[in-house]
Amino acid sequence: MYVISRKLALGIESTAHTWSVGIIDFEGNVISLVNDMYVPEKGGIHPILVREQHLTNFMKVINEALSEASISIKDIDLIAFSKSPGLGPILKIGAQVSRLLSQLLKVPIVAVNHCIAHIEIGRLMCEIEDPLTLYVSGGNTIVSAFESERYQIFGETLDIPIGNLIDSFARDVGIPHPGGPKVEQLAIESSNYLSLPYVVKGMDLSFTGLYTATKRLVESKDYGKKYNLEDVANSLQETAFAMLTEVTERALAHTGKEELLLTGGVAANKRLQEMIEYISNEHGARFEVVPLKYAGDNGAMIGWTGILRYKKSGGTAISDTQINPKERMDQVTIPWRN
Amino acid sequence: MSNEIVIEKTIHKGAEANLIYGHWFGREVIFKHRIPKSYRIEQIDKKLRINRTINEAKTLIRVKDYGVNVPQVYEIDTKNSTIVMKYIKGDKLKDILNTLPNEQKVEILKEIGKFIATLHKNGHIHGDITTSNVIVTETQDIFIIDFGLHDYSDQIEDKSTDLHLFKRVLISSHGSDFNICYKAFLEGYRDSYGPQKMKECEGIIKNISIIETRGRYVKKKDKI
Repeated sequence: MYVISRKLALGIESTAHTWSVGIIDFEGNVISLVNDMYVPEKGGIHPILVREQHLTNFMKVINEALSEASISIKDIDLIAFSKSPGLGPILKIGAQVSRLLSQLLKVPIVAVNHCIAHIEIGRLMCEIEDPLTLYVSGGNTIVSAFESERYQIFGETLDIPIGNLIDSFARDVGIPHPGGPKVEQLAIESSNYLSLPYVVKGMDLSFTGLYTATKRLVESKDYGKKYNLEDVANSLQETAFAMLTEVTERALAHTGKEELLLTGGVAANKRLQEMIEYISNEHGARFEVVPLKYAGDNGAMIGWTGILRYKKSGGTAISDTQINPKERMDQVTIPWRN
Repeated sequence: MSNEIVIEKTIHKGAEANLIYGHWFGREVIFKHRIPKSYRIEQIDKKLRINRTINEAKTLIRVKDYGVNVPQVYEIDTKNSTIVMKYIKGDKLKDILNTLPNEQKVEILKEIGKFIATLHKNGHIHGDITTSNVIVTETQDIFIIDFGLHDYSDQIEDKSTDLHLFKRVLISSHGSDFNICYKAFLEGYRDSYGPQKMKECEGIIKNISIIETRGRYVKKKDKI
């Protein structure tokens, strides 16, 4: 039984396939975290099908998080939810549930940018102050650092995110969602490299050409003869991760930050970790990977970022809690850091 | 003494290369050494290092003819992916920009704009215009460095992309000076692009905002 002497926030993550509820105290101790993830039978994430699953399960997940924390909903002092960026129909569920809870319980509500939450939970969990962050997931690929009151975007994908690239490739070759871990396993089996497009523009990257090229490789008549699936997976990872590492190193040299944080779902990939760690060592920067549980989408990060904002500038007015599917993280000021 | 190559000290560790200060037959030089990066596999590493070394050296030699201030190339060693170039004594613009008086910021940014326009008019895309890649000397001369991501193009799109990257760097690294700097930069760019090619120049600048709206998570109502 958790002794309720400290204030508690309930964080709701609802931007894409994961509906997640985290309960975290105002000192940053995560009390409970429960996820419900939509897994497509085939194809990618269909927003309407995800919405149906979240609408069916949202209360069950909230109740599980409360019971895991051995508290009642009445013990919650703050509601935080992901208002941006993400898929509209899914963001709406998080917003609506949160508005309802906030008004029923008469506790403040805080609207949180999902990308910023990924960085904040990383700073909390890895106990680092001012990192350059490489945030790699199915929906985002961003190199960011804090400058002039904001989490500025130094580099980003110009088209599709890295996780999307890997998942799409996986789908093409018949690997079910999520394809990342399986592609990683396949890549380990091969040490052959097939030349693929490498597109870096300053600190930005582009993955669509790379995707098309891998598609051609697996559709070619040479596939299965001169090279196999493992070789293509290996070449894809090696090229994409070398690009990510190069832009991250460029941003590290440009910003002069002394800490490097790797987060997002793709942060679980050991090969990527190894490459990013290498450049951290090169530049004498401290390297941290956000623990897997908190690297992917989760409610604890939303709760914690809500707490940070609430402590500094109070809650969000209900009238300002509309979702914003396209908010960039560099549009949001960060009053809790200076 | 003067017919020696002396490697003295590493003065900068960049993302791609180490810059080593030294002497080359009596001249003060920088050895720009693209070091092997063992985080990536050799096929990728070798290709990138050799191609970028050759491309950068060629470009430095070419654009000097157009009057763009760049370090003079003395020697190219493709085997070791190293360029020996004139040492430019000065500060990285990134490190000093916020310490400068406004008039000087304007002067410098205009000058950068002029050089970039000269590059673009002649079909050269720098590829990585940042305040880290501009050197300001004691005499307030501006040098553009690091042509490792350079490309040849006469496309408006590629020129706009080049400018867009620089705009983003001004926002992210010099937010409080952004307006004054960006305005001066565009002024220099327009001046140097010249009246004959004004239409093309305006097309390039206008296209920056179109590129911005293609960015991830840019709202429709923020567009143009």
